[in-house]
Amino acid sequence: MFIFIRKYSAVLKINWIQALEYRANALVGVIAIISGLFIEYQIWSLIFKSQDLTHVNGFSFNELMVFIFLSIIVGQLKSSWHTSGEMIEGIRTGDINKFLIRPISYFWYHFMMFIGVNSLYYTVYSIILFILIALFPGAIFQAPINFIGFIFALIVSIFLSYSIYYIMICLAFWFGEVRSIVVAYNLIMLVLAGQYIPIRLFPDSIIQIMELTPFIYLVDFPVSIATGRIPIDMWLINFFYSVIWCLIIWCLGHFVYSRGIRKYEAYGS
Amino acid sequence: MYIKISNLTKSFKMFKRSAGLKGAFKSFFNRQYTNFHALKNISIEINKGEIVGILGENGAGKTTLIKLMVGLLHPTNGEVIIDGYNPWKRKHDYLKNVAIVMGQKNQLWWDIPASESFLLNKHIYQIEDSKYNETLNELVDLLDVRDKLDVQVRRLSLGERMKMEIIASLLHRPSLVLLDEPTLGLDVISQSKIREFVRYYNSKYNATFIITSHYTKDIQEMCQRVLVLNNGSQIYDGLFNDLIKAINPERRLVFEFSEGTDLKYIDSLDGKFEFQIHDSILTAQLPESQLRELLSKLLEKFSPQSMSFEDLPVEETMRSFFQSPEDYL
Repeated sequence: MFIFIRKYSAVLKINWIQALEYRANALVGVIAIISGLFIEYQIWSLIFKSQDLTHVNGFSFNELMVFIFLSIIVGQLKSSWHTSGEMIEGIRTGDINKFLIRPISYFWYHFMMFIGVNSLYYTVYSIILFILIALFPGAIFQAPINFIGFIFALIVSIFLSYSIYYIMICLAFWFGEVRSIVVAYNLIMLVLAGQYIPIRLFPDSIIQIMELTPFIYLVDFPVSIATGRIPIDMWLINFFYSVIWCLIIWCLGHFVYSRGIRKYEAYGS
Repeated sequence: MYIKISNLTKSFKMFKRSAGLKGAFKSFFNRQYTNFHALKNISIEINKGEIVGILGENGAGKTTLIKLMVGLLHPTNGEVIIDGYNPWKRKHDYLKNVAIVMGQKNQLWWDIPASESFLLNKHIYQIEDSKYNETLNELVDLLDVRDKLDVQVRRLSLGERMKMEIIASLLHRPSLVLLDEPTLGLDVISQSKIREFVRYYNSKYNATFIITSHYTKDIQEMCQRVLVLNNGSQIYDGLFNDLIKAINPERRLVFEFSEGTDLKYIDSLDGKFEFQIHDSILTAQLPESQLRELLSKLLEKFSPQSMSFEDLPVEETMRSFFQSPEDYL
């Protein structure tokens, strides 16, 4: 276990070093995050003001803002535009060879890359979280247990999300170029996972269907814990389901990989 | 036996389409597949510590064989066993003892100094601090790149990058090193440095080297034994010098007569041997036995100012060999 941690923490470290190499890219990334939050704020203030609303589906303006801001943050943390693009390109061009010839797991190596690439955002988002807590007291992390539950649910969300990406990425062993599948998935997830429009605003029938899928655990579950929208006695069962989904998706990913690698033709030199 | 390859065959399924937009549309709806046999029934045994060169033209199957040996490809038929392992299973214990350097691909992180990639490999291969420092210092000095360690990889020249690739691959002191075109695109000095290095590493660590190269000089200087592939088939496995002799048994004699020598006697040899004379220098290109006969006759009558035997240029010999290998073997 100790060797495993040392080995993969080295991958994480080199990703940080790489991320810090490009200061302009990092700065633009941070500006993009803040702009997204600002646009959401403007749209929803306009809706509340023009319709003269005090609540939407049980959300006050402040509660909705906190819920949406947090959803965007969690949604970004679990997204994988960069890592998945690089992995697909690697399979297509043969760059994956450099991982296959070393005593390292392809899954865990890229999981660490996935964390590493998003690390910069973790820092910025942590600052935004503190600002949210100060601006909207009582709307988020009402008790320390909510914060602890949120962190656990966030870890599950990141792992589950990466495992889903992993399955799509492995399809490149058969089809070569599968970035369009990842793009389509990302766009669908903006809605289905509740990243831009909270699932809580959807009709009950849709919420019930979503609860049968792993997607509910990507954004809605951690955000609902943080904002106290799931009663604490329901946490355990939801954690249980989310971990089961992680195992199913992880096993499926390994199955697809083991089949795909047999098809791999190690293109290029 | 360190490496045992038995009846190894590798085929790829490829689709064909005609050029142009029409061909692209047609292929989109009705894709035509064909089987391409990259390697056919290869069998070879290699002992620990040998340096074996793989020769062949483009598409002969050299890189495919290397990829099968490191476990990047799964064989269609046959078996590869290296040090008791099946490479295809990619066991970490096996990979810890193998290194591959591919001239056209790199494992170094592009945007950061090579030293960071070395550190990453240290953790991946679980190399102890003392062993890591000792090996790194040794390799860096041998390849003369100490001052480049902290330069971003993308700012290095091709030769420097290749040297860094080799260092990254050898930090864990592998017992099997697969080099695929290690000198491709390098200048003469870098090429020679790498050849020198391979010989040094092989003798010091008794590591087995499998080398593919388009430069026959690489093979000539580094490998005693060669495997020649032609269209995926193994057509020769043996000593490089024997191959050269089989292809072209001729050598060249250059015999310079002393000043004022009467060359009348030479005319009597003219019908027996083929040679040319320019400015008191006789040049003959003949099989070894005839060349010796000619030399003894010359030495009976003349004392030379200078004389030498020369091998014919290997590159030229190999070029004529690959044009029709069946004529020679």
